[in-house]
Amino acid sequence: MSEKEVIVGRESLWTKSGRKLLRDRAGVAAMVVVGIYGIIALLVSFGVIAQDWDKLGEEGFEGMSAAHWFGTNINGQDIFARALQGIKTAFQVGVVVAISATAIGGILGAIAGYFHRTIVDEVIMWIYGCIDAIPFYLFVAAVAFALKGAEFTVPVLDLHISLAPYAMHIAMIATFWSSTCRIVRGEVIKIRGLEYIQAAKAIGVGPLTIIRRHVMPNTSHLLLVQSTIAFVGAIKSEVILTFLGLGVKEGVSWGIMLSESINDVLRGHMGNFLGASGFLFVLVIAFNMFADALQDALDPKKVSG
Amino acid sequence: MMSFPRPLPLLGLLTCLAAVIGLTGCKKPFSDRAQDVSVFRFSDNGAPVTMDPVQSATQYANLMTTSIYDQLYEYKYLARPYELKPRLAEALPEVSEDGLLYTFRIKKGVRYSDHECFPGGRGREVVAGDFVYSMKRMFDPKNLPQGEWLWQGKIVGMDEWKKTGADYAQSIEGLRALDDHTIQIKLNKPFPQLTYTFAMGYSSFVPREAVELYGKEFGINPVGSGPYVLKSFTTKKAILMRNPNYREEFFNLEYEGYDPKKQSGLGLEKLDGNRLPIMDTAEVYFMKEEMSRWNSLNKGTEIHYGVIPIELTHMVTENLKPLKLKPDYEKKFTAMNLPELGIVYLYFNMSNPIIGHHPDPEQNRRNLLLRKAIRAGYDWPQRNRRYYNGIATIFPGTIPKGLDGYDETLGNESVTPDYEQAKRHLKEGGWTPENLPELDYNSVAGVRMTQLYEQFRGWMGKIGYPREKIKFVQYATFGDYNKAVKQKNCTLIGMAWGLDYPDAENVLQLFYGPNGSPGSNSSNFDDPEYNELFKKSIVMQPGPERTEIYRQLNKMIVDQVPAICGLSRNTLTVWHKNVVFLPSRNPHGSLLKYAYVFEDSKD
Repeated sequence: MSEKEVIVGRESLWTKSGRKLLRDRAGVAAMVVVGIYGIIALLVSFGVIAQDWDKLGEEGFEGMSAAHWFGTNINGQDIFARALQGIKTAFQVGVVVAISATAIGGILGAIAGYFHRTIVDEVIMWIYGCIDAIPFYLFVAAVAFALKGAEFTVPVLDLHISLAPYAMHIAMIATFWSSTCRIVRGEVIKIRGLEYIQAAKAIGVGPLTIIRRHVMPNTSHLLLVQSTIAFVGAIKSEVILTFLGLGVKEGVSWGIMLSESINDVLRGHMGNFLGASGFLFVLVIAFNMFADALQDALDPKKVSG
Repeated sequence: MMSFPRPLPLLGLLTCLAAVIGLTGCKKPFSDRAQDVSVFRFSDNGAPVTMDPVQSATQYANLMTTSIYDQLYEYKYLARPYELKPRLAEALPEVSEDGLLYTFRIKKGVRYSDHECFPGGRGREVVAGDFVYSMKRMFDPKNLPQGEWLWQGKIVGMDEWKKTGADYAQSIEGLRALDDHTIQIKLNKPFPQLTYTFAMGYSSFVPREAVELYGKEFGINPVGSGPYVLKSFTTKKAILMRNPNYREEFFNLEYEGYDPKKQSGLGLEKLDGNRLPIMDTAEVYFMKEEMSRWNSLNKGTEIHYGVIPIELTHMVTENLKPLKLKPDYEKKFTAMNLPELGIVYLYFNMSNPIIGHHPDPEQNRRNLLLRKAIRAGYDWPQRNRRYYNGIATIFPGTIPKGLDGYDETLGNESVTPDYEQAKRHLKEGGWTPENLPELDYNSVAGVRMTQLYEQFRGWMGKIGYPREKIKFVQYATFGDYNKAVKQKNCTLIGMAWGLDYPDAENVLQLFYGPNGSPGSNSSNFDDPEYNELFKKSIVMQPGPERTEIYRQLNKMIVDQVPAICGLSRNTLTVWHKNVVFLPSRNPHGSLLKYAYVFEDSKD
């Protein structure tokens, strides 16, 4: 090379990763698609678009037209508007489950890793071992049954929140955290032997402070990747669970649309099927590609090269 | 060097091969079943959980109990409107002038099927005492009876017998076997529908010996005197074989009510003179999945009788009213539009003061206007088009067409959507989007139910009812839902009622105050005027005066709106061309004994 490389300072992992991510064209394209879905989810949530999703039409099973891009269902409701509402539902479930499961998995993984080979580590490993051993869909059905009629009560505010509609969320969070916990635990076992952790211990910093200030920030790249995996896993699971009648009870979801399509397809109406499966397919592919790109970009071995 | 296989493994291999060939040879392949004319293969969309007559509340259980057991009466196979005929009874009952004393004489020489519960394994004669015993079982709480309500408070001493411990040794004044072939029933008050109730599976003749032999397992080991005996039973299939002890009974076309104008072309003439049951074997397939049922039927080698799934009507039919199949299917099937003797409702829970009865007259008036507004928004014709192929029958009130009391002069306003009228009702009642109450729409969980809810909520949106004020409350099973209804926990209740017998009393009692939940009055409607009039009607024999009262009661349902009604469904039934059969649902019990399968080439 004729040009001299000018080193202006030491770049952080995040800056390097960001630069690498932006060089990955497929990753950027996937990010744009996910971003569009995210914007649609926000617009639907704030009541800007697709608010007529449950408005009855004069005739059911209308074909595709300029007014109804995917046609209408048996009740004459616009399938495209319902598919857009499905994005909102998917993002609501995905965000809640991804954040909660990653946070729980990250914290417990860090604790288990830091207290490696102690009773704390053993207990956490035993818990996630047990949860992983239960088939997911049976577990969700059991949680949904257990939460039937259950309420979360805030005595001061005299607030009673029924937990039944959130059975699916709770079941997903209760199962999705374990993989994050396992990965973070492994990373922390590696980190706890490094010099700066030993130094912190030597000057008398408490274990929880070490975990909070020195260990967890160094697992953040893993948490980011894990949260994207949990997000897409939650969306897929929501659709499957709703299709099976275990998920979303009110409102509209791609799972409900796919359930409806069982009867529609036999009648020769493909709108519900194409709408729900098409939106789901694009989002899952895009998110998987985005997660892969992110994983590549944040991998310290590849970034530091 | 050449080598030869050792003889022992070779012998073993040949033996195995022979065994496999032998075993597969024993089983009749499906391709042969099309020509198998010794079996009628019926199908239904659900399975019974028991065949104990005291628990035969479902149509599936009733099908089995009326195939295996005898009742005093049954309905003529072909007569429409429905007409009773004696089954185990010798004739229609002798009734005293005051309508309180009924005497039934039963056929002599009728025997139960042979079974180990009887001495020597030979079925003994059916006697009047069996009927008394069977009715006592219905009032014995240990049996968890489901049909007790039919005779509750009606037979002298029956309720007291139950209250004093249901001791079978104790006699009941109103229920006696005068001799082996005579039954006498004494009523507290006239009950003109009594004879109808003795055509239901609930009133089957049960031998005490079998109940004592099987105990709690009696429900899956039925022993009766009906045309068939149970050979095997699973949740998928029941096999019924001719009862060798079944009495000599021959099919009489004219007596059964054959109407050549309406029933010719179905081949029913072939049945005339045949001994019943016509088929030696009847198999009943319990197929909940409509598509599986259709595929099994359409394949041509499996079941003989089924229904056209609503999703496939466009593929299979050319016309629905009158029903005409497309040529390819016309060649294979005989088809019939089967109307149900029943009604689909949306009840309001009148015990809930936010929508139903209210102690404050002004609020009561407002609630009535609210119910009227909701009804005016309810679009029965649209529901019929979207969910019932457009072939269901919509009618005002609660008495379906064809029954005594059906009022042709009653206008269609109560079953025609009128959104402006709905808005006027709301305005008159002082209802605004802000003060309208939150309503729970209760239903069993499922996609179809969710669609029905969304349709209802859409209609309410058209009358100005805020979307967020109509909540969907789902129940995992019908049992859970029914339990909530019986506990008065539901507000809007979607239900259907199949009539137990062809008398409007059976639907009018659904609104009789004392029958409130957990009784059959799921709306908990309790109007003193209605109750008085109903009480007056139930002791009356059929006649113009009773018809007039039925009409008044029906009109009160329309005026007071405890329910939005009504619609009677139609089912598109089909059966193979080489089968002679005329399907019917309630009030008929089992019709298996009349089915006739013949070889195509012969006819």
